Amino acid sequence: MDRLERATIIVELVKRLRAHGSWAGETHVQKAAYFLETLTKVPLGYEFILYRYGPFSFELRDDLAAMRADGLLEFRFQGPSYGPSLVMGESAPVLEKTFTRLTERYISQIEFVCTRLGSMGVEELERVGTALLVSQQSPDLADTSVAERVRHLKPHVTEVDAARAAHFVAKVEQEAREQLP
Amino acid sequence: MDPDERRIVDSRPVQRLRAVHQLALSYLIYPGATHRRFEHSLGVMELAGRVFDVITDDVHLPDQARDEFAEHLTATQKPYWRRVVRIAALCHDIGHIPFSHGVEHDLLPGGHEQLTRRLIESDFLPLHEITPPVRSDDVVKLAVGAKGLKEHFFSPWERILAEIIVGDAFGVDRIDYLLRDSYHAGVAYGRFDHYRLIDSLRVLPSPQEQDLTIGIDEGGLNSAEALLLARYFMFTQVYFHPVRLIFDRHLSDFMRERMFAEGYPLQLSEHLRVTDNEVLASMSVAVENAGEAGHESAHRVMTRSHYKRIYSRDKADIRSNPDATRVLFDALEEQFPGKLRLVSSTMRGGLAEDFPVRTSNGTVVPAIDQSDVLEKLPDIRVEYIFISPDLREPSGEWIKNNKKRVLGS
Repeated sequence: MDRLERATIIVELVKRLRAHGSWAGETHVQKAAYFLETLTKVPLGYEFILYRYGPFSFELRDDLAAMRADGLLEFRFQGPSYGPSLVMGESAPVLEKTFTRLTERYISQIEFVCTRLGSMGVEELERVGTALLVSQQSPDLADTSVAERVRHLKPHVTEVDAARAAHFVAKVEQEAREQLP
Repeated sequence: MDPDERRIVDSRPVQRLRAVHQLALSYLIYPGATHRRFEHSLGVMELAGRVFDVITDDVHLPDQARDEFAEHLTATQKPYWRRVVRIAALCHDIGHIPFSHGVEHDLLPGGHEQLTRRLIESDFLPLHEITPPVRSDDVVKLAVGAKGLKEHFFSPWERILAEIIVGDAFGVDRIDYLLRDSYHAGVAYGRFDHYRLIDSLRVLPSPQEQDLTIGIDEGGLNSAEALLLARYFMFTQVYFHPVRLIFDRHLSDFMRERMFAEGYPLQLSEHLRVTDNEVLASMSVAVENAGEAGHESAHRVMTRSHYKRIYSRDKADIRSNPDATRVLFDALEEQFPGKLRLVSSTMRGGLAEDFPVRTSNGTVVPAIDQSDVLEKLPDIRVEYIFISPDLREPSGEWIKNNKKRVLGS
């Protein structure tokens, strides 16, 4: 995908995350894009590494800055403690109009991810994002081993939360196989 | 600096940085900006040690950090890691090719980080000769950081130490280059109170997530704001200066046409042999004779007959077409083939800066809750179209008559 095609998908992702109740800050978008690329195989072309708050792409971070500068997205500061949200910018409708077919092609994957992650806060996204990264690196690991590895990578995550994250990832991996093209 | 650190300073990869300009050809715009990566590396080394001392001071560590990092803060381990941090800071730029960032995008698209890593792991850097020996893997991680080592796993401790050097918010690389570049360029934009800033840095849990990161005590917030303002102005006024950006293009054209037609040499011994000196010497030869490879590019740099800017990114154009500059460039290319250059760059603004602040009552909050300045600092994106000087007028006329049609606005 080229820059504007990626931007089209990210704008749609932000829009639908918000529709599903997400705060849609940069961290939320990073994790949702990771699921979109890794789990549902939308070829955004970002490289994700395990970083602060779980999987993170420096290229996506730079793209988000360029998209804000281009008026495709903008930050909305909505009060203390949660960080700024991303919302559609004034130029976004032009993009949507130009790439309607591209959006249609990937809409089921975007909706799949947003339905499942939209209600999560950043702490939960960090856990499930890290669990998915572990699971993708070692597809044969059992849930309990994924949870152990999450705890090793993120020492502040509790056993219960790590187990929940591993279980969630196993479930959505199964659903993705069954439901997505 | 102790004798062991001096051995690293005296090594060939570090000494080579005496001949690599910090700001590429920016000295053609700001004549004082002739400083080199060597002194920047020494500055980063010094500041890295200071930040390490502040953030690992027991009185400054939150309980979570004291627990998670206990094994690294023992009487033997802490001095080891302090040394690793200083050496990594000293070595963080040794993989830079001649004229570094100015040409890296064109000549070494994968970035200089892999050359840095390989040099640190090589015998060119005598890490094994110092006492106690320093593990090259540790130095590599901190010198390059997670962005340049995507295949490596960073523990929370390693991530914090790498943040000291190459961190987005308070990395000492950034602190040093802003201060040093503004001083040498002769502009006041890059200055801020780095003493207060460094004294206020702390390891803090992120307010929303629980990952530890480098944040700041509330008392130092103004100095952090001053750093971000300095960065904003340095990027808009110096680093993204349009003439500097077009000189970069002419320079990388020259290097590719004359010296690195097969690509930049990835062999370490070859890399160590080439500096800005070799490029400038070669340019002096090429400019003399029209038949020499790279003659035209050399001529454009050495006689300042660089391409001229005919279009800058325009917000009104972007609103009607998000890809306005590229679309206009493609249309111009049909009219004036092979005589144009499109250059673009982006830098994140204040709201994208995500660091925690510890308030006077001990709570940890996101920086943007405390700072109106961060909220106001915009993202920066520059896009310029340049053209050969002899075509400046006809191309300007063409844009005036055709832009609306081409952009559909």
